Amino acid sequence: MSWNDSWRDIATLFRYWIKGRLSRATLAWILLGEGFSVVLVAFIGSSFVSFSNSFSLGGGFSSLALDLIFAFILIGLLQSGFAGSGLPVVSADVDYVFTSPVKPRDIFTAKVLLNSLTTVLFSFPPMLVLYLMLSRASGAPPSAAALAGLTTLAFLVMGLVLSADITVSLGSSIGPRLKPLRNALVVLVAVLSILPVTLLIPGAPVGIISLTQVLPSGLTASVCLALVGREPWSLGLAVDVALLVAWFAGLLLLGVRMSRGHFYEVVQVMDAAAEGSTGGGSAKTVLETSGRSVWSVVRMKEGILMKRTKERRGLLVSALFLSGFMIIYSLAGTFQSSPTSFLFILFIIGSFGSGTANGWMEKERLWIVKTSVLDLRKYVSAVFRARIGPLLLILAPVTVAVGVPLVFERMSQGSSVLGVALALPVALEIAAIMMGGGMYFAARYGQSSTDEILTSQAQQMTDVKRFLYQTVVNLLLVSPLMGLVLLAEFPVYPLSLVPPVLLGVLLLGATLVYSYWVLTRLLNTAGDSIAKREDL
Amino acid sequence: MGETGGISIINLTKNYGDVVALNNVSLTVEGGEVVGLIGPNGAGKSTLMKIIVGILKPTSGTVSVEGFDVVGEPERARRVIGYLPENPSLYTALTVREFLRFVGKIRDVNDDVLESRISESLRNFTLADKADSLVGSLSKGMKQKVALIAATLHDPAVLILDEPQTALDPKMQAFVTGWIASQGRSGKTVLLSTHNLEVVQDYATRIAIIDRGSVIASGGLENLRRLADTRSDSRLVDVFLKLTEGS
Repeated sequence: MSWNDSWRDIATLFRYWIKGRLSRATLAWILLGEGFSVVLVAFIGSSFVSFSNSFSLGGGFSSLALDLIFAFILIGLLQSGFAGSGLPVVSADVDYVFTSPVKPRDIFTAKVLLNSLTTVLFSFPPMLVLYLMLSRASGAPPSAAALAGLTTLAFLVMGLVLSADITVSLGSSIGPRLKPLRNALVVLVAVLSILPVTLLIPGAPVGIISLTQVLPSGLTASVCLALVGREPWSLGLAVDVALLVAWFAGLLLLGVRMSRGHFYEVVQVMDAAAEGSTGGGSAKTVLETSGRSVWSVVRMKEGILMKRTKERRGLLVSALFLSGFMIIYSLAGTFQSSPTSFLFILFIIGSFGSGTANGWMEKERLWIVKTSVLDLRKYVSAVFRARIGPLLLILAPVTVAVGVPLVFERMSQGSSVLGVALALPVALEIAAIMMGGGMYFAARYGQSSTDEILTSQAQQMTDVKRFLYQTVVNLLLVSPLMGLVLLAEFPVYPLSLVPPVLLGVLLLGATLVYSYWVLTRLLNTAGDSIAKREDL
Repeated sequence: MGETGGISIINLTKNYGDVVALNNVSLTVEGGEVVGLIGPNGAGKSTLMKIIVGILKPTSGTVSVEGFDVVGEPERARRVIGYLPENPSLYTALTVREFLRFVGKIRDVNDDVLESRISESLRNFTLADKADSLVGSLSKGMKQKVALIAATLHDPAVLILDEPQTALDPKMQAFVTGWIASQGRSGKTVLLSTHNLEVVQDYATRIAIIDRGSVIASGGLENLRRLADTRSDSRLVDVFLKLTEGS
């Protein structure tokens, strides 16, 4: 088979996959993602995260400009390396593409290209605007901004290729003796990928800085800054460009080479149908029902489902990443620079609850519940209790890890710790409310995997609407809590006259009462929504 | 084209970790034969079919289709195979015509031939008025028809059919039965996995019974009756139950 045939196959796969993927709902998701990425960039930029002290790239920009560029790179790394990780396929790919004569190498390439398209659509417009602004400030031509944008895109695509490489490597036919070595290599690659983030910590060791400068992220930053900063071409810059190209080509060739083997058995099938495939047939934990109340059994069933579908493990891994970033931000002094920025961070921790609720409805088999004698309000409440336990267990250490350094910092400065101290439990309350809100919206609009009425496209559109409602309503629901934390940080008259400890107890009591009331309402409404649904 | 037609499976073993899904399976399907593959749930039928079509890799042993080794020459082997998965997953966001064009293109069907085959097939399967409907909006029976068309668009010499009648209404079951019979008459090699033993009894030239990962019996119905030690007019279902007793 010639290269022409290969390119024709890749083009066919790409064309039809896009047709099948870019529905109205997908476009709506992309626009939403675009909006959030701009907000995230604005947040990171405005928090004055100063890399420039420890990683001097020159270029004559303000530290804010450097921060923004790094923020893009960090977001890109997260988006391409982790959010879009692996080599996701759907069952239809397995049934029709994997059984076709198209070479695995070409399927791999088409998949990476397709994933890259979404990344480009997400990341390119805000990045280009930024580079245009920077190039205008330095007098560089718009073409330099476009080139810088393309360079950053190449970096983002590299993240995708790398994660696809890792996925493919998991399926390569190496012996058991080599597997630990392969796993160690995967961990090393992951560590190197996120290494630049440690530059946020003031006084990062020089060795890390030097290493970062030859990694794709450091090289991308160097090249982009040079382009939009009208830096004259030099040998150093040429070497940077060459190294960047070498990284790109190396990662791509590695994936293409490995995909020549048989990788189908390791790719991750995204369909709900594949959800139950949890490996072997035996289970360590058994759902014991004798002597237990029905609600205890419901809670245990939910816990077992979370464990066997690896939801709990996913939660833990995400929490580890989140805590890592938060601690680094905390150590970097980010939250000290703005009196309310820690609130935002705690809100991010709190919003963790929302995501975990989405998995609930997909795993649920509502017809079983609805045809039983169970009180649906109590059922939802029991499920909530089962799900909130692991979430709080994971988030509590994160909150402590982020909050305790802040408390000590405040104490050493002799300033009030009331706001920070109250923010710690409130972050967990926010997480609980977010989860309750997520469960309510899932109960009302979500599709249980046994639902046949909604087509997948209609469900996608419903998901977009649900996400929008959910975000707005959840924000409104938790805003009184954030208001109370702000009140603790800036007590107004006559609260300013109350002793701090008493004020803290009063405010905490108020947040607990409010959270309990909101959660009860949310869960009851979720139960009522399930009772009213007729699409099962 | 390989030297020999049909399907040849020699000493095939497939392990999932410690679980042995297929244990030293050997089976031959001659060119133009319709072989019914029957067995209890979890016996290994789908695993065997997925290895033949190249989705799974054998742990050991060889499988060749029309003379092409499915591991050594996967692209050539797949070119001659038409596959109907159990519960086929279609691209629901494509229209019926788009989906069939896609399948035809990646199976290397010439553009002109492809368009005429799609139109003809849609007419034959009474789906012409659904050509521009989204696959996701079709009923289960219609989706199955689309999957049947997709399996034969490239005019394969060998058809691998994995439980083609599962969860279909009686009318669609009859339709699929007729379709299987027509494929057999047209000279295609067919390996049919099904729980519908009447179809196997009526249309299969040979029958293979697989149980707990091994082929425990194969041959014509008469041969199976002898192996099961049942009456000469016993139905396939009785033979099957006797041979798989205890599983």
